[in-house]
Amino acid sequence: MILIPCPYCGPRNSDEFAHWGEGGARPPVQDIGPAEWRAYLYIRRNRAGWTTETWFHRFGCARFFVAERNTVTNEVRTTRSVGSEAPPSASPEEG
Amino acid sequence: MGLLGHGLFQQDWPRAWRTTELKPQYDVVVIGAGVHGLATAYYLARNHGARQVAVLDKGYIGGGGSGRNTAIIRSNYLTPEGVRFYDRSVGLYRSLAAELNFNVMFAQRGHLTLAHNDSSLRTMRWRAEVNKLEGVQSEVISPADVKALVPQMDVSSGTRYPVLGALYHPPGGIIRHDAVNWGYARAADALGVEIHQNTEVLAISLDRGRVRGVNTSKGKVSAPVVVNCTAGWASLVAEMAGVSLPIVTHPLQAAVTEPVKMFLQAVVVSGSLHVYVSQTDRGELVFGASTDPYPSYSMRGSLEFTEELASHVLELMPGIAKLRVLRQWAGLCDITPDFSPIMGVTEVEGFLVDVGWGTYGFKAGPAAGESMAELVATGKTPELIAAFDLARFFEGRLVGERGAAAVGH
Amino acid sequence: MVTIARARNSTRDMRAGRRPGELIDRATSLGFTWNGRRYSGFQGDTIVSALAASGEKFFSRSFKYHRPRGILTANFHDPNCIVQVDDEPNVRAAHRRLRGGMTVKAQNVWPSLAWDIAAVNGAFPRFLSAGFYYKTFIKPQRLWPAYERVLQHFAPGGRLPASSAGGEYDKRYAHPDVLVAGGGPAGMAAALAAAEAGASVMLVEEEYELGGHLRYGRAGELALLADLRRAVAEQDGVEVLLNSVVTGRYDDNWVGVLQRELPNAGERLIKARAKMLVVAPGLIERPYVFEGNDLPGVMLSTAARRLVNLYAVKPGQRAVVFTGNDDGIAAAEDLGDIGTEVLRVVDARRGEGVRRAIGRGQVSGVELDGGTELACDLLVTSVGWTAPTSLLNMSGDIPRYDERAARFVPGRSAQPNVMATGGIVGDGSADELVSHGRAVGAAAAARAHGGNETGAPELVPRPHPALFRASTHGFVDFSEDVSSKDIFSAAQEGYDSAELAKRYTTATMGPGQGKLETVNTVAVLAEATGRTIAETGTTVWRPPYVPISLGALAGRLHAPVRYSPMQPWHEARGAVPLVAGQWVRPEHYGDPGAEVRNVREKVGIIDVTPLGKLDLRGPDVPKLLNLLYVNKWSKLEVGSVRYGVMCAEDGVVLDDGVTGRLGEDHYLMSTTSSGAGAVWEWLENWLQCSYPDWLVHVTQMTTAYASINIAGPSSRHLLGRLVSDVDLSPEAFPYMHVRTGSVAGVPDCYMWRIGFTGELSYEIHVPAGFGLYVWERLLAAGGDLGVGAFGVEAQRIMRLEKGHMIVAQDTDGLTEAFSAGLEWLVKLDKPDFIGKPELVFEHEKGPGSKLVGLQPVDPGVVPAEGSQILTDDRVIAGRVTSSRMSPTLGRSVCLGFVIAELASPGSVVTVHLPDGNDVAATVMPQLAHFDPEGARLRG
Repeated sequence: MILIPCPYCGPRNSDEFAHWGEGGARPPVQDIGPAEWRAYLYIRRNRAGWTTETWFHRFGCARFFVAERNTVTNEVRTTRSVGSEAPPSASPEEG
Repeated sequence: MGLLGHGLFQQDWPRAWRTTELKPQYDVVVIGAGVHGLATAYYLARNHGARQVAVLDKGYIGGGGSGRNTAIIRSNYLTPEGVRFYDRSVGLYRSLAAELNFNVMFAQRGHLTLAHNDSSLRTMRWRAEVNKLEGVQSEVISPADVKALVPQMDVSSGTRYPVLGALYHPPGGIIRHDAVNWGYARAADALGVEIHQNTEVLAISLDRGRVRGVNTSKGKVSAPVVVNCTAGWASLVAEMAGVSLPIVTHPLQAAVTEPVKMFLQAVVVSGSLHVYVSQTDRGELVFGASTDPYPSYSMRGSLEFTEELASHVLELMPGIAKLRVLRQWAGLCDITPDFSPIMGVTEVEGFLVDVGWGTYGFKAGPAAGESMAELVATGKTPELIAAFDLARFFEGRLVGERGAAAVGH
Repeated sequence: MVTIARARNSTRDMRAGRRPGELIDRATSLGFTWNGRRYSGFQGDTIVSALAASGEKFFSRSFKYHRPRGILTANFHDPNCIVQVDDEPNVRAAHRRLRGGMTVKAQNVWPSLAWDIAAVNGAFPRFLSAGFYYKTFIKPQRLWPAYERVLQHFAPGGRLPASSAGGEYDKRYAHPDVLVAGGGPAGMAAALAAAEAGASVMLVEEEYELGGHLRYGRAGELALLADLRRAVAEQDGVEVLLNSVVTGRYDDNWVGVLQRELPNAGERLIKARAKMLVVAPGLIERPYVFEGNDLPGVMLSTAARRLVNLYAVKPGQRAVVFTGNDDGIAAAEDLGDIGTEVLRVVDARRGEGVRRAIGRGQVSGVELDGGTELACDLLVTSVGWTAPTSLLNMSGDIPRYDERAARFVPGRSAQPNVMATGGIVGDGSADELVSHGRAVGAAAAARAHGGNETGAPELVPRPHPALFRASTHGFVDFSEDVSSKDIFSAAQEGYDSAELAKRYTTATMGPGQGKLETVNTVAVLAEATGRTIAETGTTVWRPPYVPISLGALAGRLHAPVRYSPMQPWHEARGAVPLVAGQWVRPEHYGDPGAEVRNVREKVGIIDVTPLGKLDLRGPDVPKLLNLLYVNKWSKLEVGSVRYGVMCAEDGVVLDDGVTGRLGEDHYLMSTTSSGAGAVWEWLENWLQCSYPDWLVHVTQMTTAYASINIAGPSSRHLLGRLVSDVDLSPEAFPYMHVRTGSVAGVPDCYMWRIGFTGELSYEIHVPAGFGLYVWERLLAAGGDLGVGAFGVEAQRIMRLEKGHMIVAQDTDGLTEAFSAGLEWLVKLDKPDFIGKPELVFEHEKGPGSKLVGLQPVDPGVVPAEGSQILTDDRVIAGRVTSSRMSPTLGRSVCLGFVIAELASPGSVVTVHLPDGNDVAATVMPQLAHFDPEGARLRG
């Protein structure tokens, strides 16, 4: 049971949260073609290492937030509110 | 004595497989020495006469999902294309011991998928009807029939998850997974296939949209055909060839109990309770559940998995509370959006995939290997796997297993 | 047929005189039975010590060869002392304390421990060698089930009771600053030092008392133990858990602790979030591999010392001790103290060795290197140790092989919130272990409070001769009957990595999970392959450290169930319960057909409380509705309600329901019962992640309101009797409108005029606390109108008569909106909505199959839901998703999916029934079978 530091509530057991997946921006829908749209729907980077993803504190504050988690160790390095800037020290591209 | 007698004259078996130097060139490189990779190589050699085939694995034979699954074999899928495909696999499994001269201990003890509410009973009926039309034995049975097959089952109506019926699939059962892996490895080796353990693929070399070979921890290899038969690392291997896959990797945990005298012949699955259980010939109960709730490449077991598993099992069989869990482990499952595998060609010529096997890969090994071998040898996608191509995701042709396969071991 | 010479010398009393550290209470005698015979022991005895004191020598038959087995380790991990106690299988009898009246039986024997038929296997050990099963029983294939049944007969393990209440199980959460796993000298010292530094400490010890190896030590060690125990007892802030084991360390120091033999439960699981975990399990003594090493009478030095010093049991009359260290010498001294004649101490440090143990059924002699034979009934070995690094492994540590000490040691790469102390780290005197423990405990307390102290004295493993296997072959895994020869042949056959060799031979797979076996397996494999131990492999331990019962893992079974406030009424009326997700609802009250007729002709009420309800407030609600629903919402007037369907981004139908505008910026959205939670989350996701600037507030209201649907021609009449502040006339309150008012005097109720059943109907949402009151008032007020309650089944029949789909029944995981027959609803001219691009593609391509109304040509046949629809070529072309006999129409009615080619009205399709027969069915012009114009509900 990993601990997830909710930016609003502090560290809580992971079973309070729902994983919403890699945050892929929704492409503009006007005149979008099937290939591009379905890549958005289905393709995932599925990175082994640091990923940036969206979590929902389902049995807590009911807020969505962004977490940087290492998918190999399950370590959660940072969490922050949706839309806030990623900390410069913690680019998801490293590791 | 008659039974034991069979063993008497079969001592001093030779080496099961050779250890050879990696050559600079092969006709086909298969990545992953699990059941899919080994079966692909075996059928390439046996059915198509291929000789220059290398199977590469970063670890040991059958050390990934093929050695970590719960070894349930069945073909009672929901879609006609799924049923046909897995039925072929069951057929190959049935004759595999004799073909490989290696006892894979396939025990067709029957497979029960319990329904705890009217909507799952409706899905069971749907599956049974599709199965029967495809020639696969499958029927919806009553709680009393369930009780007759599994005397430990609580089928009373006052429970939180009453047993309203079950999909009964007599040909389903369990197998010895290691034996399948070793049997294929041995037979492939005998036909000239080279199996290279501890040989990790680090890069895939391409040239103008087609595959040229792979770079490994033991050196460079050139090959016009590279088949990705990995599970858990399918996205990462495909990425080496520049191919993006619709896959998310989740751990799947399993556990085994101490042995007790035989009391459970059938394989029991409950989708609503996210649990499946069978008893091995050694007397151990083997359990599995649904995949972990968030993606990860970690194969560490979690305590909450065993807790949930135990509470769900005891909902079904309250009498086994004193049985003890001996060991837990995890494997990695590559989940696709439609809970169906991806087999066939990619946009990179010569780079083929046999991936996305979620929680249902082991039972598919023989049919997938046979079909992939045919695709490699003939260049044509066999009808049996045509529905499972990668392009379906971009062309809006998803396979409709989403309803039934989520926890359908 | 090989049987054992009857070794039962139960008349022989093997109990020695009083020992200074003995655990037994000689004043309290306890009677029990062993394989049907009566025995007695003392309070404080283990089952096995009591039997051994009575002269019993063997306690089990081995897994494959059914060889008789005796005491090996004399503690929990003894592979040879696993028995059935009453209805509990696989009890560790060298650990479990004796209780009066126990019925103890040997397992894996047939018909009895002394006369075991399967011992025939022992005559042919080579035939059951590595990979035996894979190489036999192959042909003919059809006989495998018969072979299998024979093999199953010989499966090891005890018996589960035919039925069992299962016992009472509970769980506990704990949040100690420092959790110490292991209550030996180092663990006790760590706990003391941590608590002195102000930390809250949980000290977990697997034995029934603290002390570890000090318990069976000499006088000085016993004195130290007494001091430590007193200090622990007097120290504030230390909770001591005895007969308890740390079973696993999971991510972020989530630690499982198993408590055994509590007064009210066999086992209990504690889940602890420990700030610091101190691992102090000591060392496990390793067996030696040689011919005859499994004969009863061959035991480890720690086993002999436990028997002698804790239970005052004499393990034998004449002993040979083989040792590579001083612990073997101590064991020899202990044996001498109680009058066992020690014939020889064979010391590996002097180049001496044992070749094999001689005996049939039990040890009768030992052959030493060089050929000397000594007649004895006890052979004690002390050849080295295994560090049980389990908990360290689970925190990322990879043990490394220390060649000088001939054992694996921690790799010092565990997480910073895990530390180790005691024998697992290195060797030392009891005082050295204590001071190391104190330093680690203090550092752990400092780290728990945010500090970063690490200073601890060095504790280094002492050099030890590498003693794994003699010049002969013997058992490597006692539980699995795997010999060193099996590992040699596995290596020879190519199974030459540690993982493959283990899997092929099943070494380390038994009840001990490798605690005694792993290192010997690796060492023998190294020898067989000509590699070093370090090259061959490491020891990876998987949780749990000791087996945990399913009961303890499960705890109490408490899956949540949701009931509406009207549940007492339903139960009192004998409603048949229907489990629907988390809810339990009335399926019907005896006759669903009559309930349907009553609604169609008079008036009925149904409890629809599980219906999802979301309160939406704010000026931007219309934007949200336009985004999530496939239809248009901008012009919804105050007081109006509208039906909507939501799709996911892949165009698949997600949920449906009606949303009403209660006020200028106030809406109430209803969802399906099962979709309520998911839709709420879906709304929050779009609002929080994509449109944070929209002013919308969402509140879950499902259980805040009890919901009742009043349906039927007399529904207006009935409701009118309880409502005075809302004009119910059709002109003032038309179809698809909403009003707020009082019902039966209960204010602030919402009333919607909608009609899932197809009748004139009102859905009222009443503050939940008044739900039962309003329900009963409706029934009381409408007696003359013929009002009656109806259940879910009647509602389903009526909605099917009306052709209203149920999401997830009449749609599935791939059904896009056009396939679901929603072309009338989907507005592709909206600039955007969730799922729009996919629906544009579907619209261009045309749906592959469509939901249609179907009527069997034979009106008496109701095809089961799930029945398949076939083309003329008997290819699957669809399925029946809903079907019922319609009481209103007197015929069967269905909804189903058919491929587009067969979906046009009037076409006749073949429905294949589960019984194998076919029935023809006609595709209807619309989904509704009854009142397609909707005249009744608009009335």
